[in-house]
Amino acid sequence: MSLRAKIFLLILLVVLGAATFYLRSLAKRVFIEPTRHAEETARAKLSEFALQSKKGSSQTATLYFPSLEQGKLVPEGYSITWAEANVDRVRQVVLALAEGSHQGLRRVLPASTSVRAVFLAPDGTAYVDLSNDVLSEFPPGIETESLAIYSLVNSITMNIPSVKKVQFLIQGQEVETLDGHADLTAPFAPDPTGIKSGS
Amino acid sequence: MHSSTLRRFHESRLFIASIVLLALATLFWPAREMRSDNFVFYFPSSRRLLPFETIQNTKYLPLLQILNAVGKVGGLQEKKNSLKVWFGSAQIELRPDESKVRVDGTFLNLPQPVRVSNGQWVVPVDFLTTVLPRLTRQTVEYQEGTNRIFVGDVKPSSFTVRLDPLANGARLTVQFTEKVAVRTASSNGKWVMFLGDHPIEPMEAGYHFQNPYVSDLQFDDQDGVPKLVLSPTSSGLNFYPMLAEGGKILLADVLKPPPAVAQTPQPGQLPATPATTPSAAGPTLPPSEELPAAPPGPPLPVVVLDAGHGGAEDGGRSRDGLLEKDLVAQYVARVRLALLATNQYRIVLTRTGDATASFEQRALAANLAGALYFLSFHAGDVGAASPRITVFSFQPAAPPAPVTKKTPLPNFIPWAQAQEAHLDASRQLALALRKQFALINGVNVDTPATAPVRTLRSVNASAVAIELGRLAPDADSTPLTNPAFQQQVATAVVQALATLEKGGT
Repeated sequence: MSLRAKIFLLILLVVLGAATFYLRSLAKRVFIEPTRHAEETARAKLSEFALQSKKGSSQTATLYFPSLEQGKLVPEGYSITWAEANVDRVRQVVLALAEGSHQGLRRVLPASTSVRAVFLAPDGTAYVDLSNDVLSEFPPGIETESLAIYSLVNSITMNIPSVKKVQFLIQGQEVETLDGHADLTAPFAPDPTGIKSGS
Repeated sequence: MHSSTLRRFHESRLFIASIVLLALATLFWPAREMRSDNFVFYFPSSRRLLPFETIQNTKYLPLLQILNAVGKVGGLQEKKNSLKVWFGSAQIELRPDESKVRVDGTFLNLPQPVRVSNGQWVVPVDFLTTVLPRLTRQTVEYQEGTNRIFVGDVKPSSFTVRLDPLANGARLTVQFTEKVAVRTASSNGKWVMFLGDHPIEPMEAGYHFQNPYVSDLQFDDQDGVPKLVLSPTSSGLNFYPMLAEGGKILLADVLKPPPAVAQTPQPGQLPATPATTPSAAGPTLPPSEELPAAPPGPPLPVVVLDAGHGGAEDGGRSRDGLLEKDLVAQYVARVRLALLATNQYRIVLTRTGDATASFEQRALAANLAGALYFLSFHAGDVGAASPRITVFSFQPAAPPAPVTKKTPLPNFIPWAQAQEAHLDASRQLALALRKQFALINGVNVDTPATAPVRTLRSVNASAVAIELGRLAPDADSTPLTNPAFQQQVATAVVQALATLEKGGT
């Protein structure tokens, strides 16, 4: 084989190698990423469905938003048209909290937080799987994390009586803490003592 | 120019271009990071070293060597794309680059795939916790991230470390959970303390110190022999090790040598001839004999000081870039010195320097030390006012079950519920601290609160978390870094503990 042919073969091999890598990344983009995208779209539709339930009349739910100045949760009336299923109602409460207070109270969750899934166990424990957006812009601290957790737990359990406890998952995983301080390894029972009295 | 010369010129240009292309391809080829080290298998009466490889940041161990270490491989059938192993009554089937391992027909998932490296089937270290317990009837204890595993009835001991400044040096105190027989040697400018034959599971692999005499202490058992390696900051320092409390405490003083003429032995407790730090090129000293035990001192109540976060865990951050982990370390240092000055307490730190410590390691440090009080320091967003202090005691996620007459008393306290037995005492501690903090001028002090603080959950002592504020991305940290304020907080802690000791709040 002539030197030229050898060089040509060598270059061909390099080009083939590069093409293989490119094809792999292309296949990933074509076959895998759309699946993820579809999953996100499905979740968004579920959330939308939960929020836009038009059956029944609108009712006033009580949501609990944190006040760091008082170290307490402050109740706020919130108009919700309840969905039929309890899991959808849980989703409605969480999304309403993510939407934020209408009275200028502190936001519990970033607006970008999505509810990946909600499961309701026969013992009344609701498993709420939040997206990891919950940690974006979240100010870490004992008080902030504790108030955020009980804001969610009290708002869910006090508006949906069949839910007795709430266990949080983040991105499908059980996590040790919310953001380094508050223990998230066990299901939470509601705690009315943290609610501002006289409200 | 001749046509043949021209052709040769083009060919050589092509050749150089090909070489450059190949060099670039090699440069950008995803590096498969590989490194070899030892993994120690501790058994009740023996230990075995297995080499491991690190492939793409994951530790891989040779499968057949693992199985032969914990039992006996009955047979194996290797094909191009699969391996079947008969181990006891179990049959294991693996495929290269697949994360699923089939054990007796059941698929078990590993976080990383099985690989074939240098003709050897290797499995990720998670195999030890995911698959191995299904294959052996012996208990398997493995702490993630470490290079040792305990198989069978092995009860490893552990230790806590503290470094205290002395007038002309530093004192290292290592408290073990079991008695140890220590012998020392020096090597390459470091002091090596061999800790006998008993297996040891350290809470941290290494401790880094910001001290003018000692830079770090590393635990090492890569050769199956547990040892501590102490690195001094410079050569020419003297090393005086001794054992106390019957071998459960190792005290090691690192001292500047006294002036040549006025050389006097240290009072009472130190060996007559200290081991001097050899220069890196100098000869190593022979191992000294087992160390004499010193008379035990009076037992003092133990206060555990926990600086939140550390290592990769920064915690919160202020507008001026101050990290929570660094700020709380400053408070812990001041409180520690203030408490030591009273001569009333023994202090245990859950982390030294910027070390990473898990929640379990922090609780373990307190529970092993028999802590009376556990104070965890944090800083965060606590609202507009600053400085502000809130003291939190633990709040379980659900109320503890009421104890009835029919409820039998448990023989063991569940680790995750250890704090529940101390809720009242912890509230008393919070109240005492709050009372003293309120005496500091210009500080906003909240009523003691309860919160599900993860650090406190497994502490078997009166325990609180002290949150200082305001540390937030839109807030200036100056009020919290003020040395006078930090000292006032430290003094308030001393006063609160003194009040509690006298029976008040």
